[in-house]
Amino acid sequence: MRKQAWLRAAAGLTAAALVLTACSQKSNEGSSNNDNDKATKSAGWPETPLPDIKKGKKGGTFRFGISEPTAIDPYNAQESEGLLVTKYLFTGLITVGPEGDVHPGVATKWESNDDCTKWTFNLKTGTKFHNGEEVTSESFKRGWERVAAKDSASEVSYHLDGIKGFDEMQAGTATTLSGLDASDPAKLVVTLKDPNCEFYLRTYHPVFSPVPSTAGSPTTNTAYVEQPIGNGPFMMDGPWQHNVGIKLKRFDGYKVGHPAYLDSVEITITANGNQDEYAGYQNGTFDWARMPTPVLSQARSTYQPQGQWITRTTNGMNYLLVMVTKKPLDSAKARKALSMAINRDAIINGVFKGSQSPADSLVPPAFPDAYQKGVCAACTYNLDEAKKLAKEAGLTPGTELNFQFNVDAGHEEWTAAVKDQLETNLGLKVSLGGVQFKDMLNNEQQPGSTGIYRAAWGADYPTPGNFLEPLLSTDAIGAPADKPTVGDNRGRYSNKKFDSLLEEAKSEKEESKRVSLYQQAEKIAIGDDMALIPLWNRTQHRLANTDKFINLRMDFSENPDLYEISIK
Amino acid sequence: MATAAQAVLVESAHDVGEPPPEAGRSKERSRSQFADMWRRYRRNKLAMVGLVVVGILVLLALLQPFISPYDPYDQNLENTLSSPGGDHLMGTDALGRDLYSEMLYGLRLALVVGLATMLGSMLLGVALGAIAGFRGRFSDAVIMRTTDIFLAFPYLIGAILVVRTFGSGVTQVIIALVVLGWPTAARLMRGQMLALREAEYVEAARSIGASDWRIVVRHIMPNAIQPVFIYSFTSIGIAVVAMASLAYLGVGVPPDTPEWGRLINQGIEQVQVAGKDYLWMYPSAGICLTTLAFAFVADGLRDSLDPKLR
Amino acid sequence: MGKFVIRRLAQAVMVVIAATLLLFIGLFVLGDPFASTGDKVVPPATQEILRAKFGMDHSVPMQYLTYLGNLFTGDLGIDFDQRRPVADMLGQAVPATARLALVAIILDVLIGVVAGIIAAVWRYSFWDVLVTILTTLAIGLPTFVIGLWLRQTVSGVWIFPQVPRSFTEQAPWYTEVLLPAITLAVVDAAFIARLMRGSMLEVLRMDYIRTARAKGLGERTVIMKHAFRNSIIPVVTYVGISIGILMGGAIITETLFQYNGVGFLLYKSIQFNNNPVIMAIVTFAVLVYVLLSMIVDILYAYLDPRIRLS
Repeated sequence: MRKQAWLRAAAGLTAAALVLTACSQKSNEGSSNNDNDKATKSAGWPETPLPDIKKGKKGGTFRFGISEPTAIDPYNAQESEGLLVTKYLFTGLITVGPEGDVHPGVATKWESNDDCTKWTFNLKTGTKFHNGEEVTSESFKRGWERVAAKDSASEVSYHLDGIKGFDEMQAGTATTLSGLDASDPAKLVVTLKDPNCEFYLRTYHPVFSPVPSTAGSPTTNTAYVEQPIGNGPFMMDGPWQHNVGIKLKRFDGYKVGHPAYLDSVEITITANGNQDEYAGYQNGTFDWARMPTPVLSQARSTYQPQGQWITRTTNGMNYLLVMVTKKPLDSAKARKALSMAINRDAIINGVFKGSQSPADSLVPPAFPDAYQKGVCAACTYNLDEAKKLAKEAGLTPGTELNFQFNVDAGHEEWTAAVKDQLETNLGLKVSLGGVQFKDMLNNEQQPGSTGIYRAAWGADYPTPGNFLEPLLSTDAIGAPADKPTVGDNRGRYSNKKFDSLLEEAKSEKEESKRVSLYQQAEKIAIGDDMALIPLWNRTQHRLANTDKFINLRMDFSENPDLYEISIK
Repeated sequence: MATAAQAVLVESAHDVGEPPPEAGRSKERSRSQFADMWRRYRRNKLAMVGLVVVGILVLLALLQPFISPYDPYDQNLENTLSSPGGDHLMGTDALGRDLYSEMLYGLRLALVVGLATMLGSMLLGVALGAIAGFRGRFSDAVIMRTTDIFLAFPYLIGAILVVRTFGSGVTQVIIALVVLGWPTAARLMRGQMLALREAEYVEAARSIGASDWRIVVRHIMPNAIQPVFIYSFTSIGIAVVAMASLAYLGVGVPPDTPEWGRLINQGIEQVQVAGKDYLWMYPSAGICLTTLAFAFVADGLRDSLDPKLR
Repeated sequence: MGKFVIRRLAQAVMVVIAATLLLFIGLFVLGDPFASTGDKVVPPATQEILRAKFGMDHSVPMQYLTYLGNLFTGDLGIDFDQRRPVADMLGQAVPATARLALVAIILDVLIGVVAGIIAAVWRYSFWDVLVTILTTLAIGLPTFVIGLWLRQTVSGVWIFPQVPRSFTEQAPWYTEVLLPAITLAVVDAAFIARLMRGSMLEVLRMDYIRTARAKGLGERTVIMKHAFRNSIIPVVTYVGISIGILMGGAIITETLFQYNGVGFLLYKSIQFNNNPVIMAIVTFAVLVYVLLSMIVDILYAYLDPRIRLS
């Protein structure tokens, strides 16, 4: 009797489960009846304007969160978190505004000789380090040699490559940079191995900071590494508390510009990145926050009406790295077909809820002088043209395509969407793989690698050359075809005309001429050859506590501009 | 994961002290024993619920290709993250895929992986554990210390190492889980072996000249296998949770696979957005239900096989 | 007995060496730590310098021996990422994890034992069923789901410190440790409750309990003085192993709650191929586990002559 009751219950439940589902599979169409006649809404949120910088007043504590940096000492600061702290502890030869505009730093003016192999920086006198020691050309020489020394084993020393004497220091056969002349304390003279008319832009990177004589070697004087003494508008208020936080306070003796306004800055080190920052902003812990992608719409609708929202396109580009020397994407036609088969707007609207803007170039709009709108003609979605080109290029349905991305960085969804589009639109067979970042890098470097890889790039120096050269010049491959690449041009794109345009630009003193050379180069690499496939511009969103503070903006490296922030 | 396994270890170790049941004789005796066992099992309400639920889950998994309303991989970028209701019983995920279809597919995957892991680790564990327990001395030491090495390694490292070496995919996940799961079964089996090989009926069999092999297979195994058999049901649940935890950490099956752990992972990304909790709650409930069902069955089996609990 | 201990000790040492060797080799599978910093490749010249600095330009056996040698002098090396002494990093993380483990154990023993006793003494009552359901529910839910839900709902409420919070507002350690400890304790408490219940049920059936009752002793004395003491043994074993596993660091829980313990350190080190830290932590975890396992084995051998004399 009981047995029957059980059987009946079981049958009932199963029947319910079956009834709840249709017996034949529906197709997943959703809100539109026919995909093709409804034009996809064009994606992207408008940028918020930069605030007018007003004179501030002393006082206040600014709080935000970052993840644990690798280093805050200029000798090894590498990722954006570490560079953020270093940038405000130290001031270099030049300073750069949020739009890439260059201004004097410790150097009041700079100029090169005619062939751009020798640079002379005139330094402001009377500026000091946080410990009272004076900042001279010797301080810069000391700092740069500290980075280049073999013993320091700096992972960012490559920025100094090109200065005479660098190779010797890296090999351990020299202890000074022969190319640096600091005999005049108010003048730093730099001699380069090869012409580089943009050398002065490099010094924007914190690795070129001056250090006091107490710094010593980073391997022996670890106390300095934990609590660097710099010459910037802020100084360390106690040592770095690992995995806990970093406290900064205003350096009242700052003479390079006006002293900072904030009394102190509390940088909390979070464990869960963006999630913690957003939660922290919501509960009032932080005055500045990044957000995880899924919450962007919600956050924007909450905070934009309150004037606490920032959207800016920044110095960076998201793209697909293409292995251009191997099938199936070894022809420009094939690459263009692929690019035109990707509906960027649909992905941005669906996956990113409209928070990104589709790319139409490699050099991003954040470089207003160099940006060429629409130089990537194949970045527009055009299914018919894509199919036509695919046929011509031999990219037939059933062709296998390898597609890799790095895990734990939020790329799972959009890459799956791209895969789906390529399979649906071009009939390709895409094998999607998620691996650790280092493994993906390793895979990209191998001579036999094929297909596409998720990639992103941000310039180290405020010049479009720092997009074009490291990513697409032949030198940046660094290895023959049968060996793994060592540079950042892992797609192995090589074009003589492109290379010679870049060479010309490097030796061109006149800035506007340089920019036009870069534009021509970009036209070849992206417009004609589609050497890589731009996807969407790097757009950054931030929450900023405008209730309490003024002058809130991102600097050129997407960090909060601590120097100008002030309480109301 | 490790904690579940260790609990079972301790429970069974505690059982070792029991007097062993009589040596298995003729088949008629077994048949009435089975009926006895089934009667006792049926009396246990929770166990019956567990059995029914397991049955339903297996049925759903088998019928998945036919009853799934949508293709679980079918994306619809215009209808992402929509709440349950309307065309989509459980709503859609971040790529517009139907969550209910993904749940069904994930169930199928979970049961397949759970079952395969269970079979793999049981086979390996029972074989090695029996050798260790029966032979004693050197083989015991070698095998037990090998299990120590596996058990001592923090779980995550072991799983990552295995998956990184072999790549990601369902087979590799099964391999990783078997590699991490066999030590528990081996210890269980060994414990039983140690206790039972000194039993009188074993001595009796030896005295009439039965070979080691015969003794192990015909006399000891049927009794020793009992706790392992019970544990095997729990281990299915453990494997499902383990696979989900691995997926949560980004290790395991290809990224766009609708596997419950991945679904939870993706759902957690949305956790700060209001009203999207269904994304991780459904797969979590799925894992919970599956684990519970198998655990109830295992519990019921243990109670029904225990002669003392009448 | 003495020979057994020595044998066991020797085996334990071998296990540690084997595990660390396995790990050392495994680390090479995990990839080249110096290939890239962030998004950019490291130029080969710099890679050479880095390898020389960290002694990775020697052969693998040489590196392993050097590492072992340093281990004996207490030199755990410098980490690859921030170039700090690993001993310092562990020195901060281990006490934090120890505190977490301690609080978690206290919580789960208290809750588990009490729940188990109640379920056993009032068998088949509402409480028994409640405990059974709650415990199996707790076992069914993955840890990260429990932790996440707790974090979403409870942080900032009452004594639970706000997560996240500014680092200058340091909560006293016993409040900081509460939420992660509760998350960890939930599953363990469930297992302990079940163990306690099963064990107590058996003991309550024993003859000497009947005798005690017949002697006229009050029910409370019978339970607390006689039954409890005997049924607590498997719980003790379980807790012993639990401590070992918790000391290895609860990766998921620590990361969820911003808790700077060993688990979180390990997780980050795996991501960045920070080999010296991984080696140090896993060696530490293996040591703790092996030690505890050895102690448990010796205790069992001491108590059970059959095993001791085999």
